[in-house]
Amino acid sequence: MSIESVDSLITETADRLFGELCTHEAIEAAEADGGAPEIWAAFAETGFPWISLPEDAGGSGGTLLDALEVLRLVGYHAAPIPAAETGVLGGWLLASAGLELPDGVVTVAPHGDLTIADDGTVSGTATMVPWGRSAERLAVIVGGQVASVPIAAATSTIQQTALSGEPRDTLVFENAAAEVGAAPPGVDTDTLRFRGALSRVAMMGGAIEKMSQLTVSYTNEREQFGRPVARFQAVQAHLVWAAQDAALARMAAESAGHAAHRGEARFEIAAAKLNCNQAATRSTKACHQAHGAMGMTQEYPLHHYSRRLWTWRTEYGGTREWSRWVGETAVSQGADRLYPLITGGSTALG
Amino acid sequence: MRFTPTELTPDELALQSDVRDFLAEELPPGTHEPGLGMSAAHDKAFSKKMAERGWVGMALPKEWGGSAKKAVDRFVVVEEMLRWGAPVGYHWVSDRQTGAVINKFGSDEQKERFLPKICAGELGFSIGMSEPDSGSDLASVTTRAERDDGGWIVNGTKIWTSNAHTNDWFICLLRTAPLEPDGNKREGLSQMLIDLKNTEGLELSPIPFLNGEHHFNEVSFHDVFVPDENVVGQPGMGWNQNTTEMAYERGGPDRWLSPFSTVEQLLRETQGTDLGDRAVELFGELTARWWGIRNLSLSVARLIDAGHAPSVESSLVKEMGTRYEIELIEKLVEFTDEELSLESESLFKRLLAQCVLTGPGNTIRGGTIEILRSVASKGLQGLPA
Repeated sequence: MSIESVDSLITETADRLFGELCTHEAIEAAEADGGAPEIWAAFAETGFPWISLPEDAGGSGGTLLDALEVLRLVGYHAAPIPAAETGVLGGWLLASAGLELPDGVVTVAPHGDLTIADDGTVSGTATMVPWGRSAERLAVIVGGQVASVPIAAATSTIQQTALSGEPRDTLVFENAAAEVGAAPPGVDTDTLRFRGALSRVAMMGGAIEKMSQLTVSYTNEREQFGRPVARFQAVQAHLVWAAQDAALARMAAESAGHAAHRGEARFEIAAAKLNCNQAATRSTKACHQAHGAMGMTQEYPLHHYSRRLWTWRTEYGGTREWSRWVGETAVSQGADRLYPLITGGSTALG
Repeated sequence: MRFTPTELTPDELALQSDVRDFLAEELPPGTHEPGLGMSAAHDKAFSKKMAERGWVGMALPKEWGGSAKKAVDRFVVVEEMLRWGAPVGYHWVSDRQTGAVINKFGSDEQKERFLPKICAGELGFSIGMSEPDSGSDLASVTTRAERDDGGWIVNGTKIWTSNAHTNDWFICLLRTAPLEPDGNKREGLSQMLIDLKNTEGLELSPIPFLNGEHHFNEVSFHDVFVPDENVVGQPGMGWNQNTTEMAYERGGPDRWLSPFSTVEQLLRETQGTDLGDRAVELFGELTARWWGIRNLSLSVARLIDAGHAPSVESSLVKEMGTRYEIELIEKLVEFTDEELSLESESLFKRLLAQCVLTGPGNTIRGGTIEILRSVASKGLQGLPA
């Protein structure tokens, strides 16, 4: 069955934009500076950060599939910007609760002990906050409430960096004044975790594909023993394994995206994150091995993708967390329902 | 190379539901000894029942007894049969590839002679490709056919011919023109259909499997006469036809479902017990991986229906699927951590014992994973196959 596809204009525009802006030098500079305001400005100009958020809430309209396609290209080009946080995560939380979408960057707190007091103030510590230092607002969900906290209200900011070289900061708030709205049914910390995982698999699918392509090119150019190293069977094995993981990760991400676009998709997202985490582990190993020492240098771009994959594979649930989730689901379905679960996914869970 | 996500249509889902009902009725869990995917038992009566429902040779044209269905319809039927461990062995090769080859390259007379019987589940085929000195380098086959009045005289030896002792016919790759020094060994090959039961000069001898079971055979030709009407397609075009045939063999559910009945039985036997984190995580990993690989495999079937010849994609899926089967079997052995026997009281342990013993074949049959990597990596690099 042909399933809904993404407007090819979105793919072409985002691919061209990131292709022009996310040069090796620009990604290096973003890492050194802890952000890339000029790339973000050009990205924001297109309205892409707010795709899938309703227009009457200040979003750009479009579907979740469109937004995930942009995230795939963020991964493919290693775009050093908080696209997922501003759109399908933080922006989605704010728009769901009827809170205003700011013009600038929104981020979310994947971990921490933040609380929202009766007077609407926010206190506590948020850790590993993506691009915390350069965001305008932090979107927080606690119980049935969503708060939009100005980052400027943080009493202290500890700058930290993920393996990817991108900011993951610690922010401390003490009775920070915030805008607060009620979370509608179906919007809670659990939903945010699944959505976070969905955002990561979209980017991982793109990054593994790029890494696989880089590895094919490099091994065709690099010569040893008088011929391109890609002519050696031992090297070909790495090319094939990386291509398989690129295909598996993108297929898993897109299948989960389609399910989420339609409705209940927890099984697909969990299975996709698990597949992508494992694919990231295998493919980074294969691609680095095929590149030899060159892949370990700062001057060669492989690390833009491999380091992001090492970051994303543990964000919003590592391999054990999702193995347990999928395993508990499979076991609770029982032997007779195991294959129907594999073929039907969330629709088989009833 | 692009694997596009796809889903089953309402008609395909209805077919899936019919197949599940049929299996629940014919082979209720607990009443039959499931097989390991395509290595399942040969049961002519079961093949006949499937054929009565139109599920054998289903992609073949209606005029020859098929149902003119698509590759995805066949995918739906096959994945259910294999995961159930149903006894599909007798019609397996005819259904997967020989019928398709005869339909694509054969004469009308051959179609009339073979296809209705294949679709009726009444004709079991074997495959005569490998020889003592020709395995992965298949184009080097030396079994030769020489011109004679109205046909060919064949001499040579085929090996690893699975089930030649139980099947009815086999399709052989033979050299019909001598290989000149510096000649192209892919030229001068032809495919012929040979009756395994009624052919003078054909000698079958078993090659016992590592535990003594009889699957493989050596088939020797001593001046065997093959009439012209049994040559498939153009003499000399055998290599291209054979390559097409191999494409039907790759990337389908038979390449990743072999240990499924074993896993399902483990879940059945442990149901209601406290499994512990390790078992739960193992079930999670393999459920997710099967979901991912199945999506890739299904998209290959969709590509075939769209008229593509996805040889790189199907090689990638087969290499990945069979390697995963072996990884999974190893994990099950580690998890179980007990002595295994084909006579274990537990069905799960019997199946796992069989998985271990037959496992080495998974990554060899139908093209070793090394050959698949070679095919796939040439495709990735844009080189000719």
